[in-house]
Amino acid sequence: MKKQFSIRDFSLLLSLLAIWTFFALAAPQYLSARNISMLSVELAITATLALGMLLVILPGHIDLSVGSGVGLVGGIASVLVFNHGWPAGAAFGIAIAVAVLAWTLMGALIVRERIPSFIITLGGLLIFKGAFWLVIGSRTVPVAPGGQTNLYSLLTTYYFPPAVSWTLGLGVFAVWIIMTLRGRARRKALGFTVDDKELTFLKLFLTGQALTLTILLLNQFRGIPLPLVILAAVALAIHILTRHTPFGRQLYAIGGNEEAAFISGVPVQRIVIGAFMVLGGIVAITGLMQTAYAGASTTTIGDQMELDAIAACVIGGTSLRGGRGSVIGVIFGALIMASLLNGMTLLAVSPELKLIVRGAVLTLAVWMDVKLTKR
Amino acid sequence: MSAILQASAITKRFPGVVALDRVSFDLVPGEIHALCGENGAGKSTLIKLLSGLHPAGSFEGELFLDQKPTSFHRVTDAQHSGIAVIHQELALVGELTVAENLFLGNERRRRGFLDWEKTWTDARELLAKVGLAISPDTLVRDLGIGQQQLVEIAKAIARDMRILILDEPTAALSEHEVQTLLNLLRELRAQGIACIYISHKLEEVFALADRITVLRDGATIATINTAETDKTNVIRHMVGREISQLFPRHISHPGAETLRVSNLVVAPSADEKPFLNDISLHVRAGEVLGIGGLMGAGRTELMMHLFGAWGHRLQGEIFMGDQPLQNRSPQAALDAGLALVSEDRKRYGLILDESIGFNFSLSSIRNLLRGLLIDQEAEAHANQKYFDDLQVKAPSLETTVNTLSGGNQQKVVIGKALMTEPKVILLDEPTRGIDVGAKLEVYELINQLTTDDRAVILVSSELPELIGMSDRIVMLHEGCISGEFSREEATPEKLLAAAMGQTLSPVTS
Repeated sequence: MKKQFSIRDFSLLLSLLAIWTFFALAAPQYLSARNISMLSVELAITATLALGMLLVILPGHIDLSVGSGVGLVGGIASVLVFNHGWPAGAAFGIAIAVAVLAWTLMGALIVRERIPSFIITLGGLLIFKGAFWLVIGSRTVPVAPGGQTNLYSLLTTYYFPPAVSWTLGLGVFAVWIIMTLRGRARRKALGFTVDDKELTFLKLFLTGQALTLTILLLNQFRGIPLPLVILAAVALAIHILTRHTPFGRQLYAIGGNEEAAFISGVPVQRIVIGAFMVLGGIVAITGLMQTAYAGASTTTIGDQMELDAIAACVIGGTSLRGGRGSVIGVIFGALIMASLLNGMTLLAVSPELKLIVRGAVLTLAVWMDVKLTKR
Repeated sequence: MSAILQASAITKRFPGVVALDRVSFDLVPGEIHALCGENGAGKSTLIKLLSGLHPAGSFEGELFLDQKPTSFHRVTDAQHSGIAVIHQELALVGELTVAENLFLGNERRRRGFLDWEKTWTDARELLAKVGLAISPDTLVRDLGIGQQQLVEIAKAIARDMRILILDEPTAALSEHEVQTLLNLLRELRAQGIACIYISHKLEEVFALADRITVLRDGATIATINTAETDKTNVIRHMVGREISQLFPRHISHPGAETLRVSNLVVAPSADEKPFLNDISLHVRAGEVLGIGGLMGAGRTELMMHLFGAWGHRLQGEIFMGDQPLQNRSPQAALDAGLALVSEDRKRYGLILDESIGFNFSLSSIRNLLRGLLIDQEAEAHANQKYFDDLQVKAPSLETTVNTLSGGNQQKVVIGKALMTEPKVILLDEPTRGIDVGAKLEVYELINQLTTDDRAVILVSSELPELIGMSDRIVMLHEGCISGEFSREEATPEKLLAAAMGQTLSPVTS
């Protein structure tokens, strides 16, 4: 499809380096193995949610309720586990089912009753937040009873040991190489334009370098954290869904021109409801990870996460008008957001200033999007 | 007379293309100067230069206004010089009244506040000038396209324009509205206003223009006095080759009935009055059924309803072969073997920001699977086939559709429909706004389709096209069938009479 690398991606890389350099100078422990490990967990949480958000932004919608949803899902699971002594797996099942159901309902209201997604999900934001506080009784509910570990707490505290980490990393890299080379050969056979050999090699080489460096650093701490593997799985699934299935193709078509997509036989309503349904599942996964990361469900879990997800999408080149965006871009966007937030926490920036920076970054990203879409 | 506006040796480059190559053009006061050329010939680019959309410095060559070198840095520069452009897409605000639109950005005021009295009186005067008998407090959205266009022209007059540029003004007008417009332009000419008139309809060009400039591939081919030339000559200049036979319809041998519609009554929605009344028609394999009628007669609505994209059926049946068609959605219609090429390709036909290949396979993507995933090889091969068959002029399948000319965009829409391998293909104004060469290709394609035993329903506003390409013609008038004609019976006079609801009997001569 479209060219995957452009000046924009390059500028993303530069901004990322600038952010890292700034924080590394301001707080040397920013690049410590321990902090990189934490950053990778935070990245996994932000990026997973943003990938779900991508699915509804592609057809030209938006979801403001995911942050509250994250809190609610985590809250339901925590209450079932801590107050009612459920096994974590069963609690996960209920929490995921609730989220999928709620998001399917919102999707149906949006496309069948033609209520703008902005309004429906703004309503969802408040309703889920209220429901969340009701569920946890506005108290703090730990994810595991009395300092024990369970599946829930392990979500963000399990690390793959170094040997497994290397195997995982090598495996992923090998698949990456094979996919790149096969894709390139296929495009070449079909007469499409491809990157020349040197550039392909350079990209693979740099990817390999980055991967090696990351694993080295993560292994210095405890190994690859589980959330990072969850992110990889979600990212692969969303990539295949958007690029290799009719569902994804039709998401892009709806975002590009809904009327033309409809006339072309795209079942617009079903596809958009489907996108919200998958987003519901992803909100659940994110909610469980985020709550586990905090160690307990508290009233502020999930606050402003919808904004981080939207910002990650837009920074990564997703158009808010729909029809444009990619998995790799969104992950990059999430990396920028996570790096900023992590750095600010490390510098003990006041919550007031943090909010202002978040808002400024979101505004800046959307402004860039508008600038680049216009022409 | 000396030129009011002159473009001299203009060269405009876009990355990879020379859009205009040393083009020269001049306009004298009180003349209507037609600009002709195929899509992609450079007409729009030239207009954009003259109206300041391509600012000075983005091209080579010089512009002269009243013989003085001039440069437009922005659109308002051109406007202040008295140049007004009426685009195909009108720039009116539907929710405001006609009077408010007339003085938009040019408000009549007194001491900083709106002067409503002067607004109304001036608006009345302007509307009288353009021959519009409507109240200035009518909302623009309640006007027809023809009337809106006249409002646009009145708006230009309100700004004291001296040069009027009209880009395909009649594409969406009815016959009567076209005549009103042409008469108005003649009157303006008499008042000394110079006009650049762009149209694919040579009848209008010859009825109106004093001079014709033909562009081809970004170069000026000729500037001719209309009195000294004829259509054949102009077409030859435009395409660079002879078109001996404009409508090359082959004699057909229709086979079995493919689509039958009986006593169809359709309303826009469940609680509205019927818009289509008692429509019965059929089309056979290998046959072209033409459907004509004036704007608003219900042609497009009929096509959209057959395709499951419009209206609530109150009565009647549609059969594909012997299968009843419920047409709940375009998806169901496609599955039943119907395909639609809509009249508005940018709105209903294309995902403009996506590639040619993306658009080609959009309707057929569910048939190009391996397991649950898209079979990219099969998709690329299918796309390549239609890219080659339809001779789309573009660097590759990955070219973005919005960079293509109208004719090539239309080919992409047609290719998307054909890839679903339909038994019946509905073509709604398939040659609107595309150039002569591309039109001919569409006609050849219709022939090819009928040779392959597909049934074609062709909706067209152009009577010569309807008569030239159809085996049978059904005329619509206010939602009802007002006449049916065989190819032999059809004459423009009879069809027009039926379109205006004047006769129900085909045998009047």
